[in-house]
Amino acid sequence: MRTFSQAVSFFLFSIFFIFATYKLPDWLPADVYLRLDPLLGLSAVFAGREIIGRVLWSLILIGATLVIGRFFCAYVCPMGAAIDFLDFLFFRKKGRPGPGGKAGYRNLKFFLLVIFLGAALASLSLAFLMDPLALLTRFFTFFLYPLAITLTNFLFDLLRPFFQVFGWTTLSHLHYPQPVYYMSAITLLIFGGIIALSRSAPRFWCRYLCPLGALLSLLSPTGLFKRRVSQDCNECLKCRRACPMGAVEEDPKKTRLSECIQCRTCAKVCPKGAIAFPAVASSAGGEYSTVELSRRGFLYSFTGGLALGFLSDRTPFTPLQGKHQLIRPPGALPEGDFLRTCIRCGECMKSCLTNTLQPCLWESGLSGLWTPKMEVRFAACEQNCNVCGKVCPTQAIRSLSLEEKTHAKVGTAVLRKEMCLVWAQDKLCLICDEICPYNAIVFRTVEGYRRPVVIASRCNGCGFCEQKCPIQGDSAIIVVPNGEIRLRQGSYIKEAKKLQLEFKPDPGDDKYILEESGLRVGGGKQGGENLPSEEKPRPQKPKGFL
Amino acid sequence: MDQHRPKITRRDFLKTAAAGALLGLVGRPAFSDAKEEHDLAVISGEPAGATKKALEAMGGVARFVKKGQRVVLKPNMSFANPPEWGSTTHPMVVATVAQACMEAGAQQVVVLDYPLRRAELCLERSGIREACKPLKGVHVLGLEEKKFFREIKVPQGKVLERVEVLKEVLDSQVLINLPVAKSHSATGVSLGIKGLMGLIWDRYSFHSLYNINQALADLATVIKPQLTILDATRALVSGGPGGPGEVRKPNLIIAGIDPVAVDSYGVTVVPWYGQNFKGRQVEHLLAAHQRGLGKIDIDQLKIFKG
Repeated sequence: MRTFSQAVSFFLFSIFFIFATYKLPDWLPADVYLRLDPLLGLSAVFAGREIIGRVLWSLILIGATLVIGRFFCAYVCPMGAAIDFLDFLFFRKKGRPGPGGKAGYRNLKFFLLVIFLGAALASLSLAFLMDPLALLTRFFTFFLYPLAITLTNFLFDLLRPFFQVFGWTTLSHLHYPQPVYYMSAITLLIFGGIIALSRSAPRFWCRYLCPLGALLSLLSPTGLFKRRVSQDCNECLKCRRACPMGAVEEDPKKTRLSECIQCRTCAKVCPKGAIAFPAVASSAGGEYSTVELSRRGFLYSFTGGLALGFLSDRTPFTPLQGKHQLIRPPGALPEGDFLRTCIRCGECMKSCLTNTLQPCLWESGLSGLWTPKMEVRFAACEQNCNVCGKVCPTQAIRSLSLEEKTHAKVGTAVLRKEMCLVWAQDKLCLICDEICPYNAIVFRTVEGYRRPVVIASRCNGCGFCEQKCPIQGDSAIIVVPNGEIRLRQGSYIKEAKKLQLEFKPDPGDDKYILEESGLRVGGGKQGGENLPSEEKPRPQKPKGFL
Repeated sequence: MDQHRPKITRRDFLKTAAAGALLGLVGRPAFSDAKEEHDLAVISGEPAGATKKALEAMGGVARFVKKGQRVVLKPNMSFANPPEWGSTTHPMVVATVAQACMEAGAQQVVVLDYPLRRAELCLERSGIREACKPLKGVHVLGLEEKKFFREIKVPQGKVLERVEVLKEVLDSQVLINLPVAKSHSATGVSLGIKGLMGLIWDRYSFHSLYNINQALADLATVIKPQLTILDATRALVSGGPGGPGEVRKPNLIIAGIDPVAVDSYGVTVVPWYGQNFKGRQVEHLLAAHQRGLGKIDIDQLKIFKG
């Protein structure tokens, strides 16, 4: 029953994850697991100093925990499910030290929780480091998802001949674009480390480290279902050895309530059938110990968290926010708010249609770790897609309509004349002009030559020009954050109008293509002399016409 | 040696011949129609109706598609823009031809292109996938992977020696080109012959390595559509190939077997970048004509207008 529930939950988590892509229907909350997570929610609300609509979903989990107890860890948490499953695969036969374990270490997770919430109060988003759902989503995004695509395509490649024989044309041409990400290896190492910890004790992560588990266990004492041991108990201590959470005390009748996740393993192994989990409001019939956090420990970790928040804020990164070359996704909150609100789940990067969204490493300091940036030399932002905002559980990237998103300018293209084939070498290149979806690049006659120039008021920073620039290495046209529009609330369309920007794909400025009279072809094989007479470029004619 | 000789008795031969003749009489295949004498069919009207008429004027689709054949339709769906932009073939043109091919007994119809933007978006935004959805046996594919291409030689190539072409095209019996009429910043216009670039893998070298106009003529010597139906219901007369740009509405469908003739006619239906041109003035069309790939002067063509 528990395994089944875990499997279903893990499956649902995966399905929602898979759905987080173009084209996600508006009604489907693909980020629902992350929305339900009260730790991520609290952290974002504390740090961002604002109530976030989607975070209210976590009240569901808070309420359920208050009524039922800490059931989430055993039945729902997909990270717990992964740990249990991999534990079963790798460590089930390994002899592990008995249930002793220092009880004091268990408090580590509470201290971590206090540190994270303290940091959040000091405006530093840190819970993402260890929140199990953010962690697992990241692992899915940066490692499992690219791997799954590779394997799927490999499988299709193997089956292709058979599909062809059966005449399944569409199937025989199926191929998914391969996503790639920075920091895949780090993410895998962290996940692998968590699993490896189970070598020393089952659910090591959940027992000692998980801050979400800590938060839920603080809420759980009011829960109805509590472990009760009847008089039939012969104190064989089987339950104590079997408990994956180490929640049974030396006296098997006693339960560490905050540790118990109601998995009922103890009830299953009890030879006397003396253990039950009846739904009774009173705590009669059981002996429970609750969390004992030393006042000193609490104080230390709380001030530690505050200090971390302080430190992360008082660095040159803070005054430099918005002055470095980071291009944030369209609809991202103003940089400070964005860093405070983003929970680094990686969902936006998973959902990104073109794969341009990539995790930051140190580009904006510790407080920007794993936040999404646009890597436009690699891929541009597709103007018909707005999924990143739709799947953002804390709305650090606002969910915008396509029209709004088009006006959420992320930067401006700048032409580097000294590198441009046309400006520097008089070549006949026009790729940036051709690819620009907003006609923000036009050709103008400058001192007798046709030259590409950027009309900044039409450029919304999508990056197609930078991506497609044919020169090697750095592009000759780059998107810089200058002119980006970052709004905490309100309409981007209005803001863009106010700034007299226009992102309408309008009927173009291609009349300039006729002004080729000023064009002088440089040397090389496109030079006039080398062409047969019929192909000599004529002035006054657009390219391609004779 | 004897046993290798084909064993056809005189009687067998006569029987088969008679059956064939009978079938011809009963089926009244389109090639007995007088209409086939026309080089081009130029039909005015809305996309679906005009396409249907153009097919009939060219002798019916059965002239090109035989029972059990695999058919490839090559529309332009390179961009993720709606039909109004004029950068992609009108979905109703594609669907009409696809349906006609299936009705003529095609085993399957594959509508394909190697799009410039993400295939997923191009198929969706162009409206072509949606239009072909109700048609059984019709598959709409946007192929972006090298593994779907196979290299072939270009024996008559001047600049192009080899080229990698979509396998599906090489393995099918019928190719019908369904270009849209648009301007092009490198080749002047992008019509049928320029549209063939959507069937090859390495188009980058066309822009960077070769004279694109000669390379296109080379390409036209190896990829020869049985029929070209140019969608000039809208024409993107500037800002091509991707748009946005000025869209005119000639409301024409131009069909023909001769790819150069179709394109040459297409050049004349609207002014491009505000100027009138003839087929001879388009470098890649002239090159194709000089290779003997088709007629370029439209006053020498027999044109069915409707």
